[in-house]
Amino acid sequence: MSSSTKRHSMMPRAGTLPKAPVNLSSSVVIHDNAVLTGNHTINISSETVIHPRNKLDSSNGRVTIGRRCIIHERVQIGAPSADPTKGEFGVTLEDYVTVEVAAIIESGCTTIGEGCLIGVGARIGRGAKLGKHCTITARSVIQPGEQLPDFTVLYSNGTRRIDRRGVTELKNKAQARQIDIMRKLIPTNLARFKD
Amino acid sequence: MSSRKQVKGEYIETDTGNKVSRKANLIGTQHIMLGGKTVIMADAMVRGDLTRTASAAGSSGGAPQSNTSIFIGRYCFLSRGCCLRPPGRIYKGAFTYMPLRIGDHVFVGENSVVQAATIGSHVHIAANAVVGEFAIVKDYVRILEGTVIPANMVIPSFSVVGGQPGRVIGEVPEGGHDQFEMRDMYKTVGNNIPPPASPGHLAV
Repeated sequence: MSSSTKRHSMMPRAGTLPKAPVNLSSSVVIHDNAVLTGNHTINISSETVIHPRNKLDSSNGRVTIGRRCIIHERVQIGAPSADPTKGEFGVTLEDYVTVEVAAIIESGCTTIGEGCLIGVGARIGRGAKLGKHCTITARSVIQPGEQLPDFTVLYSNGTRRIDRRGVTELKNKAQARQIDIMRKLIPTNLARFKD
Repeated sequence: MSSRKQVKGEYIETDTGNKVSRKANLIGTQHIMLGGKTVIMADAMVRGDLTRTASAAGSSGGAPQSNTSIFIGRYCFLSRGCCLRPPGRIYKGAFTYMPLRIGDHVFVGENSVVQAATIGSHVHIAANAVVGEFAIVKDYVRILEGTVIPANMVIPSFSVVGGQPGRVIGEVPEGGHDQFEMRDMYKTVGNNIPPPASPGHLAV
């Protein structure tokens, strides 16, 4: 084969990883470079935006993403944890969740509540349960099985406080605006991920 | 990218001396401006596609504005796995991304994520750092490893920044600005690198 002299693309190709069975709403925006892999179902609800180089892995359990979520680039959702236990449920993201660049959400009954913000490079351990409208700042780590009450802000390597700004409505509105723009900027071809 | 015939190698070298790895992830290349002599290593990600969508303030008089979303100066060095993306916010009732401007001699370490509004010249961003949205970093700033710079922070010149969240923890010592020089580092990367004749020091 002359393939040894050919340059190899670093892009994850569709052939290399098994395509996951998906259930996508027609209003979802997924960049072509995202990867949806695994053998459980990946559900993505309406108006969610998925940036390039994401990896949604359902091989350790079902991945469910709610409405109007934004998943930034290089995020790994459903990443295998240190002691992977295969289960029915992998990761659930409720509505209006934002996951920023290079965050990792491990698989295994992990739940991210409505309106949460997962910062750049944060890591959410297996089975963690985040309440509604939590903010996890950049490079924070949530241990496996940890539970956070609603409106928790986690910052500075594990310091916590409660967000009492009461801006959830505004935040959700801003998120919707952002999605409107993303829809124009990110080309999407849902057929690529289906079947 | 340059259209002339390239010899096969890991890097694409352009006429202006940029060295861009073939394994780098540049999205929306038409919106990325490289000043020249800039190195982009494998797996670095540059999001040029997130362009400004709101029209600029009325003062421009409706002139067709350039839609460049990322400006990078000369002698910048983007290490493996780093990510540059323009910051975005609500502006006049609509969400828009704003351009990210990076000066000359800027080093971005491995797996760092930069979403600043402006990075000055001679800035060293170590590995695993996060520069938050709309941060403004002035010249001769050293950002230590793993620093998380919060959104909208302004960092004055000659600061050393560290911690999570990032704080100014020191000053670049007098005469210390030589270490920000990136010309030597530029020469260490490329397709046909001659073996080092003398043990040149690297400002890593």
